[in-house]
Amino acid sequence: MTMNEAPRFSEERLQEIQALVARYPGPQSALLPVLHMAQEDFGYLSLDVQKYVAEVLGLTLIQVREVVTFYTMFREQPCGKYLMEVCTNASCMLNGADELVRHMCDKLGIKVGETTPDGMFTVTEVECAGACSGAPVVQINNVYHENVDAAYIDAFIEKASKEDAA
Amino acid sequence: MIPSDPKQVTQICFDRIRIPDQRRLEVARANGAYSFLPTVLNEFNSEQIIEEVKKSGLRGRGGAGFPTGLKWSFVPRNTGKPTYLLCNADEGEPGTFKDRDIMRYDPHLLIEGMIMAGYALGVRDAYIYIRGEFVAEARVLNEAIAEAYAANLLGENILGSGYSMHLTVHRGAGAYICGEETALIESLEGKPGRPRFKPPFPAVEGFYRCPTVVNNVETLSTIPAILKHGGDWHAAIGAPNSAGCKIFSVSGHVNRPGNYEVPMGTPLKTLIEDYCGGLKRGTVPKAIIPGGSSAPWLTSEHYELPLTFDDLVKAGSMLGSGAIIVMDETADVIKIARRLSHFYAHESCGQCTPCREGTGWLERLMIRLEAGKARASDIEVLRDAAEHMAGRTICALADGAAAPVLSMLKHFPEEVRARVVEKAA
Amino acid sequence: MTTLFIDDKEITVEPGTSILEACRRHGIEVPYFCYHPELSVAANCRMCLVEVEGWNKPAASCCTPVSEGMKVRTRTEALKKDREMIMEYLLIHHPLDCPVCDQGGDCKLQDYAVEYGPSKGRYSEPKRAVINYDLGPFVNTCMTRCIHCTRCVRFANEIAGTGDIGVLNRGDHMTIAGIVEEALESELSGNLPDICPVGALLDKPSHDLARPWELSHHSSTCIQCPNGCDIQIESRGEQVMRIRPVEGSPEPFICDRGRYVYDSFRSPARILEPQIRQGDGFGSATWEEAFARTVELLKDKRVGILFSPYWSLEGLMSIRLMRDAVFPDAKVAFDLHRRDMRPFAFEEGFSMTTEQIESADQVVVLGCDLRQRLPLLMLRLRKRSRQGRPVTRIGAMNYRTNMSLSNDALIRPRDWHAVIARAMEQVQQLGKTAAGMDEWMASVDGRHEAGKLLADALMADTCALIVGEEIRSHEDAASLIYGLDLLMRACGHAEEGRDGRNLVPEAMNAQMLSAVFGDVRASAGELFALAQAGELDALVLVGSDPVGDGLFPSAAKAALERVPLVQVGAIEGEISRYAEVKLPAAAYVEIEGTFLNMEGRVRTANKPVKSLGEERPLWKVMMRLAMEMGSEPPVVSLEELREALYAAMPEVRDACNSVECDACLIRVGRNRDARALPRKTAEAFPLDVVSRYSMYREGMWARASELLSEAGRIHALDDVLVHPDTLAELGLKPGPLVVESFLGRHTFDIGVRDDVSPGVIYIAKRGVAGDLSDVTSARLVGCGGDS
Ligand SMILES: Cc1cc2nc3c(=O)[nH]c(=O)nc-3n(C[C@H](O)[C@H](O)[C@H](O)COP(=O)(O)O)c2cc1C
Ligand code: SF4
Ligand code: FES
Repeated sequence: MTMNEAPRFSEERLQEIQALVARYPGPQSALLPVLHMAQEDFGYLSLDVQKYVAEVLGLTLIQVREVVTFYTMFREQPCGKYLMEVCTNASCMLNGADELVRHMCDKLGIKVGETTPDGMFTVTEVECAGACSGAPVVQINNVYHENVDAAYIDAFIEKASKEDAA
Repeated sequence: MIPSDPKQVTQICFDRIRIPDQRRLEVARANGAYSFLPTVLNEFNSEQIIEEVKKSGLRGRGGAGFPTGLKWSFVPRNTGKPTYLLCNADEGEPGTFKDRDIMRYDPHLLIEGMIMAGYALGVRDAYIYIRGEFVAEARVLNEAIAEAYAANLLGENILGSGYSMHLTVHRGAGAYICGEETALIESLEGKPGRPRFKPPFPAVEGFYRCPTVVNNVETLSTIPAILKHGGDWHAAIGAPNSAGCKIFSVSGHVNRPGNYEVPMGTPLKTLIEDYCGGLKRGTVPKAIIPGGSSAPWLTSEHYELPLTFDDLVKAGSMLGSGAIIVMDETADVIKIARRLSHFYAHESCGQCTPCREGTGWLERLMIRLEAGKARASDIEVLRDAAEHMAGRTICALADGAAAPVLSMLKHFPEEVRARVVEKAA
Repeated sequence: MTTLFIDDKEITVEPGTSILEACRRHGIEVPYFCYHPELSVAANCRMCLVEVEGWNKPAASCCTPVSEGMKVRTRTEALKKDREMIMEYLLIHHPLDCPVCDQGGDCKLQDYAVEYGPSKGRYSEPKRAVINYDLGPFVNTCMTRCIHCTRCVRFANEIAGTGDIGVLNRGDHMTIAGIVEEALESELSGNLPDICPVGALLDKPSHDLARPWELSHHSSTCIQCPNGCDIQIESRGEQVMRIRPVEGSPEPFICDRGRYVYDSFRSPARILEPQIRQGDGFGSATWEEAFARTVELLKDKRVGILFSPYWSLEGLMSIRLMRDAVFPDAKVAFDLHRRDMRPFAFEEGFSMTTEQIESADQVVVLGCDLRQRLPLLMLRLRKRSRQGRPVTRIGAMNYRTNMSLSNDALIRPRDWHAVIARAMEQVQQLGKTAAGMDEWMASVDGRHEAGKLLADALMADTCALIVGEEIRSHEDAASLIYGLDLLMRACGHAEEGRDGRNLVPEAMNAQMLSAVFGDVRASAGELFALAQAGELDALVLVGSDPVGDGLFPSAAKAALERVPLVQVGAIEGEISRYAEVKLPAAAYVEIEGTFLNMEGRVRTANKPVKSLGEERPLWKVMMRLAMEMGSEPPVVSLEELREALYAAMPEVRDACNSVECDACLIRVGRNRDARALPRKTAEAFPLDVVSRYSMYREGMWARASELLSEAGRIHALDDVLVHPDTLAELGLKPGPLVVESFLGRHTFDIGVRDDVSPGVIYIAKRGVAGDLSDVTSARLVGCGGDS
């Protein structure tokens, strides 16, 4: 999707949405799943995307805005190609999550919440990921990485950068 | 196989968890999954099932510990409205990671439990509300559900019994509060997850204002064993008023963090030393959060405590979700309390005044305290602000938010005092 | 009933009542912010905490139902501390700017801070920053003051039905946000500042103009629509600063038209002194000079009298008395929207109260833009639809209602007969009939399926029929209303106690007008035709603006080219340019008087606002006119005038004297022998013309109000609208097109909307298409010049 193009779901997506809506007593129930799809398809949930989703499900814009702004997984701004979400809640903190975040930020030269200038990496802190036996836990693009340490992250970053350069 | 002698039972939900490929229907069935389902669907009726579950003494594994059979019996019949079954797989309580293992390693156990519960409650449409971050787990569940549909274990006229049930996995999107059952319902209706006040209770007016039962993954996964072996069998496992086994998610400063299913009543110390390989440093923990981050803290004096609902309440805490966070002597309790304050401020849905404003206030005070910039007088403010949040709001998040701060003040007054300055910078 | 004890006092309330309501009803004060009796319960402020014996924590009284034998305490030391803490939480981000806040002096937060708050807040961390929103001409925002009670959000969702306010984010980042293009969509938006318990949403027009304690209060009746809401006028000196609803009156809200019309009271359009025409303009005159000129124009002349229904009952009575004394043969007209003057089987006005309509089993709305015409009744229908009760609508346009309708049919006005006949057919099949029905049906050729919806609704035990302007203004209105009357009688909806016949009146006082003027009334069109034909010598206009409003603007203009006009009134209209003399009469907020709303409720206005100029109450102007014309004035005091009124309408006296004035309803006129059979009319042109009423643009007061005009501009639709199919059939495209009617050929910009019935041209009465109001049918032709 280029910047100025109006967001549109593919035909298959629209069919998927139709099938999804049928699984619930009311169409609004499909809002979270459809927003997940929209984020997957369009990268992030711009106001135009939100308007489009409202239209697809027959909702008002405010209904969509309320939901998008309530849930942390929905992003209204673009993020890096690799979204690295570090859990810093109690169990991970007890196992060095703060130090890990500091290491990642130093290595990438950014602050928490920022994206590297090349658009590759975003680092954020998140709440308990529900995998505390593997603390510290880092989710990278929704894949769980457990028992992560500095060396693991360094290797990941290097591999990802190399792949991108290739 | 779960032994039929209750005295020998050590695991229920995790009975088959280590079997490779158990997530596949074929393997699961070979190991006994769904074997008792036809009997339930063809020979049991709703009242019988609810009676067995009541007899079993099963109490909810999601946090509140409400008797499951009793909850089911509150659902009104013949209202002309559909009844819904919602599985709470939000698993957001910090320290908790047990439902995830059931879902990714033995999804058919949960599905079978849901079919049985659905049948007992007259449910046509059931949903699993899984936290948004569990993408892989949702995928496993969806694959398992597809297999179950293909085998006519779900859908119309299940196994020719005349009972039909549809099951849908619904992903959340990052909001701890959606684990609270009424917030979960709001979220499943496509709205922000703001809890509803009660009454009316979900059993009477829940999802789309229809009768609704919300149960935790672990709770529902216990149902097949209860129906197969009988309520009395389950009631004989564990401890009085705390029947059965419980999965404890142990994390923090232990050598082998992980999920351990043990009979209720197992002492805390046994769990930590025999199962988790003891503490990383030292011999007794400095602090223990026994039931997820919302539970008030315990200290070494409670190390021998049997893990039952009642014993934990007596000790001033709660069993909660069974998540045990262990801190050894190196832990900075002020930092942990500050971090948890951040968690609650971040996760408050914002509707109740004391919670919306109080969680933010606590966090800001805790940041100052941690940084050594709080005055002695701030401590009273901290206590006041925390105490007046708890029990004055729609849901229990505010209680959870107060717990770490009040626990810190209660158990570690010396450390707190050492951190304050006479005159703030 | 449930009995409980609150602070040891034994109290009995209906089961299911909340503790807070039980307290409110028994005068026990419990503080609260988020609760509002007209809104759903949110229970989020937590200010209303009380203690219940046996419970281990305090309960929010707003969401806790009473139970038998419950023991509640509302004042304990623990609760005092709890309330103090809630206030402290609320105030941590609240600015301490009461002295500059419009709400200061009228603010729950301020009041409670004094009564329940801590002596000193202990929050010393940074305050949060928030952004403000532009919500249009009526509502200002100052969101730092917001306490997140969500009353406004619930109002927008539940009362206004617009849902254009919501809650964004969570935790203490939670904000209330408006999603608006230019302005809130609601015609009730002015209630938001009242709904907001603090100074976050403020009345924009009165912003920063006055502090609550500087204002004096006057109670009056709004005459801007037939609902006749009680209003409280707030003035500083003679200047009206604000109009608000009255607490405890039948409706706790008022619409934007009634609220913001007040800037017209001081507009240049007010007639504040007698004036006499001088060439193209007017010069001020003394009352003597003005009456001298009036007498010259009217003495021994054949006079027609046209007046508006919005005067008080006393004012209207004085018109009748003056007429009888001075012009006993004069024809009198007051409807600007009625073409068919034959008596209606049921006259204008409601048989049901709005509460009864809200709770009826079925409601059918026929040809009425209720949201514009009767916004407060629309609000009630929204309430019932939220409770899942059905509403059926049939008409020329799907007027936007902000609610979901259970049945909806678009029809052309020429199809009304066929609709009613179809409904008759169906009720007869189900064994319900009334004498006269067969005859009525036999004179209608076609049948229209929309009639089935009507018949279905009529089968209910109670059914409210709301008949609107599309029928009232119809050329064959009397037969349509007779047809509907037959249907209602057949189905048992005309019986005492179950009477569901409601004809939306043109304005206030409809019951009095048909009772007192029934014998002499003529149509406005008829008066103009007589004047044009040379059968009248002069027109006396008392209020009313037939050039600016109504269905006869071109006829009025043509008439006034021929005969002189004497205008008595409080405000000018477009008609004033034809006047020879203008005599100032006091505006509705400047008098003491009695009014009747559409339900027949007697409303009284007292404690008027001071006059701005030389205007006098209408009855004094009328009596002086009688004297100047050489007659003995029929009454010389307000008491005598009221006696005359009571003699004509004894039930008004009873109602006025009753303590339960609100409960006495003046009945609507019935004409049991008004048997009008359908007329076979051949429409001159293929398309029906329906004119659109806009609450922001109709009426002289509204047009003189800058505030309403601005809202009218924002909410305006195209001047002329048709269904896309109507154009497609003719092979035409939207844009400038010629409309051919009996007035000739005129070019208008034509827009399309699919909520207009095919075959209908839908026009805005105001604006460039206004003159088409005279027309009932027309043809669309491709582009071309005016003829
Ligand atoms: C703030 C809050 C968060 C909660 N989170 C969860 C959760 O993540 N998973 C869960 O099963 N129950 C959670 N609960 C408990 C649920 O409200 C509810 O009691 C439970 O799902 C009922 O299921 P059960 O009876 O099977 O335990 C939470 C409660 C609160 C107040
Ligand atoms: S206590 Fe907090 S999280 Fe729970 S409903 Fe109230 S504001 Fe929301
Ligand atoms: S009035 Fe009860 S919580 Fe606000």
